Amino acid sequence: MTDHTDSDDDTRRPDGGTADPTADEMMIETDVTDGLSASDTHGAAETLVEARNVDVYYNDVQALRDITLEIPEKRVTAMIGPSGCGKSTFLRCINRMNDLIDAARVEGELLLRGKNVYDDDVDPVALRRRVGMVFQKPNPFPKSIYDNVAYGLDIQGKEGDYDQIVEESLKRAALWDEVKDQLHTSGLDLSGGQQQRLCIARAIAPDPEVLLMDEPASALDPVATSKIEDLIDDLAEEYTVVIVTHNMQQAARISDKTAVFLTGGELVEFGDTEQVFQNPDSDRVEDYITGKFG
Amino acid sequence: MATDTKTAVEGFGQVSRTVGAVFRYVLLAATLVGIVALTVLLVFVANDAVRPLTADPGWHLTFFGTLVVPTLGLGGYLAVRDPESLWIGGMTVGLAVVSLLFAGGVAMIFVDIVTPVVWFAYVVALAAPSALVVGLHRSSVEPPYLLRLAVGVVAYYVSLLGLPGPVGGLAGVPQVVPSLANAVQSLPVLPVDWMLLLVSFSVLPAAVLAAYARSVAGGRAGLLVGVVALAVVALAALAGPAIGITTVPAVVLASVVVLPTAGYVGGVAATRPERRVGLLLPAVVVGGTLLGAVVVEAAGFAGPQSWVDWQFLTSAHSRNAVDAGLYPAIGGSILLMVTVALLSFPLGVGAAVYLEEYAPDNRLTRFIDVNISNLAGVPSVVYGLLGLGVFVRYLGSPSGTVLVGGATLALLILPIVIISSREAIRSVPDDMRQASYGMGATRWQTVKNVVLPRSFPGILTGTILALGRAIGETAPLIMIGAPDVLFSLPTELSSKVSAMPLQVFAWASLYAGPDFYEKAVPAGVVVLVTVLLAMNSIAIVLRNRYQSEQ
Repeated sequence: MTDHTDSDDDTRRPDGGTADPTADEMMIETDVTDGLSASDTHGAAETLVEARNVDVYYNDVQALRDITLEIPEKRVTAMIGPSGCGKSTFLRCINRMNDLIDAARVEGELLLRGKNVYDDDVDPVALRRRVGMVFQKPNPFPKSIYDNVAYGLDIQGKEGDYDQIVEESLKRAALWDEVKDQLHTSGLDLSGGQQQRLCIARAIAPDPEVLLMDEPASALDPVATSKIEDLIDDLAEEYTVVIVTHNMQQAARISDKTAVFLTGGELVEFGDTEQVFQNPDSDRVEDYITGKFG
Repeated sequence: MATDTKTAVEGFGQVSRTVGAVFRYVLLAATLVGIVALTVLLVFVANDAVRPLTADPGWHLTFFGTLVVPTLGLGGYLAVRDPESLWIGGMTVGLAVVSLLFAGGVAMIFVDIVTPVVWFAYVVALAAPSALVVGLHRSSVEPPYLLRLAVGVVAYYVSLLGLPGPVGGLAGVPQVVPSLANAVQSLPVLPVDWMLLLVSFSVLPAAVLAAYARSVAGGRAGLLVGVVALAVVALAALAGPAIGITTVPAVVLASVVVLPTAGYVGGVAATRPERRVGLLLPAVVVGGTLLGAVVVEAAGFAGPQSWVDWQFLTSAHSRNAVDAGLYPAIGGSILLMVTVALLSFPLGVGAAVYLEEYAPDNRLTRFIDVNISNLAGVPSVVYGLLGLGVFVRYLGSPSGTVLVGGATLALLILPIVIISSREAIRSVPDDMRQASYGMGATRWQTVKNVVLPRSFPGILTGTILALGRAIGETAPLIMIGAPDVLFSLPTELSSKVSAMPLQVFAWASLYAGPDFYEKAVPAGVVVLVTVLLAMNSIAIVLRNRYQSEQ
């Protein structure tokens, strides 16, 4: 039930009864213009991540059922669905963060560039170096801004001019202008929205192939959220972004492809965002999107 | 219906609070009993030891006028106008007092236990292989890790122990290459003691100050502060003898008291100029004390006939209670403390990191868990028996030495160190670990870069409090055969050691007599409690800073 109240204003969008006029305006703008043109101009893209019949169990409870989908390169793919539907679990399968939970067990195949990441010869640490991740709650380290961004370079032993990479990453995360004079102050002194952009800068500094985002804007206010959304739009030019979100408007605004998970860990619908939102195949998805349940 | 709701309510009745009020005051009484009892006891003992009433009334009046009134006045003013600067002023005074105590201990070590030459030799012998290891790590060739590890181990071994060293000694091979530590000591020409200390001891606080200044005001300021700090120490060594302080204690005082206090004051003045007014407080305290001393001297007012005086702190036990002192016991306690800290800190933190970050959640782990908590509750006399049985009887080391005592006390506080370190590690938010693993960090990198730095203040706080427990223990020392009375400081790990609580216990039992009860025992207790309170206050300040950072 809490899910329903959480996403109340999102789910009522088609009826025009949204509680947040700014968010509504932004939605119309991006959805009608940017959203359509983006998918038109990009054309067909190669598949980067592919899931084949993935099942995930937490002890005896099945969290994901038979997930099969293909995530295209240099696109934004959104995962939406009610709480507990397994969308975050799926995201954490891609970089094997589920390995850190003793009770979790993954079956099926999850391919990154055609290689199953659950093969025995795959080192999860090496895998995570190619897949960046941004978490729901901003979680910068209690280090300086510079050290936060350089953390990935440092632990991965990357060569190169760290100063330049840090500057570039912060610029790409649209944070440089705000912090360039205080690179050596603690990352925890920033505001929540700035902290989240710092986390994005940290994730992209080692130049990963995929960027996973687990509800990156859910802890932020509307202004900070719109900044993060603009940023994701820019990032999609160079990175493959997979974003889990609770906010259906957000998914509609920023993503090229959308996957809808529903309770029970099933993938009910997957396709171009436009089609999923305007003309879903499944009645359950239509009910969810129009706010009849969720 | 409508008329009913419109009638004015005359009152909602009363609910009795009597039981609740009684309960509340019973709780308050329970809280106060312990604190009041302890305070009364401490005041009683302090009165016996310091005997403030033996001073001239003029002495009290003078210091009341020059020190107490101005301090309270300024303190009250700051408390109302700007509590934050009062806190800064209090911190400065506290820092000076605690570091003065600490300096006393360090000076004692350099004067009577480890001579500056030996210290310098071991610093060089540790620094040289460290430089080699860091150089290998930074070099562009970057040899494989295991090779670097092997080179490092060999370098430290040769530098500290020589070739073939103790391993060869076991096999009967004579020493071919002397260790670097011995080689340095046998150099024909060495600078004088205070210069050795300047380069091997004072550089540390000077470097910390320089790094701080650099982070605040840039590289040039850092260099300047570092040079000035070393100059201050050198000046203290040259000027010390003129006012009756020999060079080695002067260097220690300058490095341990003057530099940190000046650094704190300078830091406040540079980074928080609006709080500068708080720095008046230490000025008033120091100025008031000096002014009072001058007035008392001029007017000829006699001070209190305190049992805790310079003579008590610097002489050994005597059959005559008035001449008895605590010096060997203080030195013994310091040496025990160093040994205990060196043994229990790595073991305790290591166990805590393993149990929190690495151990799988299985029966063995849970079994160890429960038993660590149980060990924390085992009486200290049992640990004394363990020390006697294992170290003295089984391993055959002589009884009552610094090493045996330190190892026994380390075992005693090990469970407490483990438990408090685990608490500190557990309080690191899981978000941080997730972020680190998500960046592709290994477990080791996560522990090293995220978990340990974040939990370090908490670990340190717990360890200091545990050390406070060790410093007050008597029973384990008696069990391992530490002598009650010692007339000189232990100079190495295998010499016999006494400790402050043991000496006080001896005065109260073996030499029990009215003189010792009235003079030596209270004075010893006051010194012991002062050291303990100083250690606890460091722990509390650390913990407060740690909590405010989160």
